[in-house]
Amino acid sequence: MNALCETVRGRLPEYLEDGLSTEDRRTYREHIGSCEACRESVLEIEPSLVFARVRAEDVSSEDVERVLTGVRAGIALAEAERRAGRARNRRRHRVAAAASAAALAAMTLVLPGSRPAARRPAGPVAAAPSAPAGFAPAAQAAPSGTFPAEATIYDWNPGAASEEPRVVWIVDRSLDI
Amino acid sequence: MMELVYSENRERREAVEATDSELALRARGGDMVSFETLVVRKTPAVVSVARRIVGDGEDARDVAQLVFLRVWEQISRYDEKFSFNTWLYRIATNLSIDFLRSTRSRERAHGATLHLVRLREEMTGSQTTNAVEDAELTRLFQTVSSRLTGKQKAVFVLKEMEDRDTKEIARILECGESTVRNHLFNARRILRREIAKICPGLLERRRS
Repeated sequence: MNALCETVRGRLPEYLEDGLSTEDRRTYREHIGSCEACRESVLEIEPSLVFARVRAEDVSSEDVERVLTGVRAGIALAEAERRAGRARNRRRHRVAAAASAAALAAMTLVLPGSRPAARRPAGPVAAAPSAPAGFAPAAQAAPSGTFPAEATIYDWNPGAASEEPRVVWIVDRSLDI
Repeated sequence: MMELVYSENRERREAVEATDSELALRARGGDMVSFETLVVRKTPAVVSVARRIVGDGEDARDVAQLVFLRVWEQISRYDEKFSFNTWLYRIATNLSIDFLRSTRSRERAHGATLHLVRLREEMTGSQTTNAVEDAELTRLFQTVSSRLTGKQKAVFVLKEMEDRDTKEIARILECGESTVRNHLFNARRILRREIAKICPGLLERRRS
């Protein structure tokens, strides 16, 4: 038993109470890994230290390659899911926009001075590819700029003398309803 | 074409020479070469700590994949003021503990109980009293440490097997140093009890 053995055995309480510096701990463990007598002496007091000397198993280059391949696949999958999520959101927004447009198209616009148009059925607009009877396309009245190219405005104006309200329908065929 | 290949090779060479923190910063900017260099560089350490906590090489590789996917997802949150290693170990330890709690892990624990019976027979047998190899100790550790909580096991592994100091473990587990010491104290106490119960031959042999 040399001086280091004496030190190691004497300083076990310090080791267990976390009183040694990182460097001293390393030296301590290296010593009990190589000195059978000190190891036996230390393990008698603290058997759990039997695990302190277990070396890490080697990680092969195949292991590293497998992890890398799995990570690449995981990232590709996450990216694909993110793209699919974005596409789903876009579709959801389009459907919502189409529904709003349909609601807008189905709504009879009552212009100032007219009576409410609750009597006018909303059904034909969404389904009608052509103008309902009595309605004339009023494309020339369509505002330019952001107005959709495939949209048509139908304007039914019975005239100021009539009791009937003026009704305007907007049909946008580009919307995917 | 040649220029592209040359450029890619140069990027890889630069990535290999960069520090962990530099690579993490580049990865944060979307540089895949730097990220993959980090994966290759850090996989052995991550697999090693995961294997000690989850107890199985195959599972440890699965955990390592999850760790690096989590790093990729959260790289925008990486703060270069802190050590990349500490951040990586935190993710690795947390995911390993999560894995231990998973159903799959519990199924494996059942298998470990069967293994335990065999191990007890081996360790009390006269022919195995001289040499307990690392592989056998690793198996014994997985058996006796199944009684530890995830945090206790992580602290024991990081402190006694991975050679991390208390301050760093506290940062990894995001707790106080006194909590780390408590976990270590309890882990040793439980391991002592389990070793005496499961593998009395180990202690008796040493006492004799």
